[in-house]
This record gives sequence, structure tokens and C-alpha cells, in this order.
Amino acid sequence: MRVTLFDYGAGNLHSLEKALASAPGVEVRVMEDPVKALETDVLVLPGVGAFGAAAARLEPGREQMRRALLDGLPCLGICLGMQLLFDGSDEGEGLGLGLFRGRVTKLRTRRVPHIGWNEVEEDTALREAKLGMAYYAHSFACRAEEPEVVVGWTTHEEDRFPAVVRKGRVLGVQYHPEKSSAVGVRFLHAFLEEVSS
Amino acid sequence: MLTRRLIVCLDVKGGRVVKGVQFEGLRDVGDPVELAMRYEEAGADEVTFLDISASSEERSTLWEVVHRTSERLFIPLTVGGGVRTADDVGRALRAGADKVSINSAAVARPAVLTECAERFGAQCVVASIDAKKDGDRYRVYTHGGKRPTELDAVAWARECVERGAGEILLTSIDRDGARSGYDLELTREIAEMVDVPVIASGGAGNAEHVRAALREGKADAALVAGILHDGVTTVGAIKELLRESGLKIRGSE
Repeated sequence: MRVTLFDYGAGNLHSLEKALASAPGVEVRVMEDPVKALETDVLVLPGVGAFGAAAARLEPGREQMRRALLDGLPCLGICLGMQLLFDGSDEGEGLGLGLFRGRVTKLRTRRVPHIGWNEVEEDTALREAKLGMAYYAHSFACRAEEPEVVVGWTTHEEDRFPAVVRKGRVLGVQYHPEKSSAVGVRFLHAFLEEVSS
Repeated sequence: MLTRRLIVCLDVKGGRVVKGVQFEGLRDVGDPVELAMRYEEAGADEVTFLDISASSEERSTLWEVVHRTSERLFIPLTVGGGVRTADDVGRALRAGADKVSINSAAVARPAVLTECAERFGAQCVVASIDAKKDGDRYRVYTHGGKRPTELDAVAWARECVERGAGEILLTSIDRDGARSGYDLELTREIAEMVDVPVIASGGAGNAEHVRAALREGKADAALVAGILHDGVTTVGAIKELLRESGLKIRGSE
């Protein structure tokens, strides 16, 4: 199975790359071109950076990527990668993929960023892997307009927001599975297994 | 609800782990990659590499060590020491760090915090502050705690956050390596003032000290090094005490 990371900026991709590559039969590639990144069995949008810069890197291939995902290409968006699956963000200019309806807005909490280990509540994202506790590091959250896409929640202070969204084979996670220790790595493997079967 | 974090710090010099006492008198305690993985297995919530290399030859090994670590460590890795510019931060993130701590360079040129936050996001910018009690205030020191500045630690912490830091790593120079407990007054003063997580550092001698840093000191996280490396206590034992004391902690898997 070919798994491709769309590399749209700075950030540590090594942990994610290795966590995915440790699943049986998986070959991981890293692509900077949003169109070439679509020549794959599974697309992963990794999660470090700012929305505006990432949306700009995505823009030349945005329509094609959107169409590929609507046509059934499995995809996992992590943190900022999840936010890119939505319409747009208050963090920066540019358009997201619009696969999930809603905007990304700043956390409505005193303490921002939300950094550390927090729960994944009501987690129905995958059949085989529940994280319980996951590592988050973000200042913005996805305000999903379609309640049925939210398959996991988390709460920071008084703000409750989606930890996981899912439509078919497209998942977005606000936490970092590649930084959530063994349960996170298990989640990545379970995701690959579920979307490829 | 966010859990409190236990962060293990490994002082790295020339690609090997060492732990200083009062920033002096180093002892070699092992390989950074193996140690980091061991602490992940033990239940540590994060690992920090503090590079204390004195020369660029020694430091050149750091990125290679960070790269090898990031391929095998699946909890957050923070790297600090000798980071001066936004380009340095970019290099650290590329090498495999999740967060980068900036100390002397931020004091010399505070705008570097803003540049890094705008380019990479506040969540990966850690302002590292070394403070020493001076009369009824705390004075900021740079260059591994050797050089005094005119900055007041509390005011400087506030400025770091205003300029874009997403976390504060707060080290008491008086307590570092002394194992007499964290400086609770300093920790609480800053933790109550800023809206970003504060990591207490310097002074852990036992699990009760860690609990005090989180409870009385109101820190979000505590940094621990020597007492773990020397086997005085374990990550598991510290976390058990924290949990028994009613603090919300990530459990072992």
C-alpha cells in the first residue's frame, strides 16, 4: 500500500513517516506537489504550521485533491491537516478543501494554545482503535456544521470541539496520533487497515 | 480536561546524555535515543533534549541525534540550546523536533519569538527562562545561567507570551541540581500570570517535589532529569503519587 504525506511546509514528518511505515506492507512517500501527492492509495495531510501558508501551498492542487477525496481516495488529516479539510480558517487567508462544512476558529479558552494530553470523548472514529488519551498542540479548532461527521470530541476548559471528524474514508484528527505513544501508532495502523479493506 | 505532564530532560553534549549539577560538573549517563525511548515506555509525557555543547563541532551531532530519535520516539520531543534564529528553529523541526526552546537568543532579540510563532505556530515555540532570586525579585540569566541580565523574570515571562511563545520553560538556577524542591514561589507567580502552559524546572529531589510544583506551584508540567537518570525514583512512581493525590495524569498503557 502506497501512503503519501503531502509536505506543505516546516515540521517534523519523521515520526509520522516511521509510525505509518511500521504497518505491514506500507510504503511511505513524501511529496511537496499537491497533484503528484494524489498518485497514491492513501493520502496523509500532516499537521505542523500555519493555515495561510499551508493553504497557499495547497492552492494549485486544491480542486484536484478535493475531487480525489470525494471520489473515495482515503485520507487522514492531522491537526492543521484536519483544519485544511474544512472551508477556511480565521488563522489565515486561503481556502481549505471544503470536504467538511464549517470554519476553523480560535479556541474560546483562557489558556491558548491547548498543549498536552487530553481525552478523546465518545470516540467512534475507528472500529479497532480507541486512544483514550491523545496529545494535542493547537490554538484553533474546527467548528463542524454537520453534527453527524463528528466521531470524537474533546474539551479544553469550557470549549468542546471535534477531536475526530469522518466522512467515509476521509478522517481528520485534531490530536497528533504520531505523538500519542503506542495507542497513537495503533490508531494509525488501524486507520490504514480499515480504509484499505 | 488536560492532564498535567511529566517531562524528562536529557542534557546532551556531543551527542551523549549528561546531567549537570548547578550547570557544572557533568557526568555521562548514556545514549539519547535509547534513553528517550526508555522514558516513553516508562510513561513520560514528553522528552526534552537540552544541548549544552560548547563548540559547533559538538553541536553538529545534535541534528543527527534528533533525527534518529524522532524516528523511534512517539511522544513530543523538544529541543533547546544554541537556537538563535527562525532558520535554526526550522532546521530543528525538520530534523525531527516537535518544539524548540529559545533562551539567550530571545533575550538578545525578543522579536525572534514572534518570527518563529508566525512561521511555525506558537505551539512549537517554547520560551526558556533561567531565573535566580535576587532580593525580593527574580533576575533572568542567560548563557546557561552564567550571565545576569537586567530583566525581571515575571515581566520577561509576560513579554515572551505577548511576543508569541506557546509555552514557558521556567528554570530556577538556585535549585537546579540541588534536589531541594522546585522554586514554588517563582513557579506560581508566573503560572498564575500567563495564559500558556508553564513547565517548572530545577530542583526535583523526589516525587513529592514534583507534586508540589504542580499543586502549590500551579505548573502545567514538571521537568525532571537527574533523579530519574540516577535511579532515585521512576516515572511510574512519580505518576502514581500524582494520581493518588488527585491530579489528572495520563495513565500507563
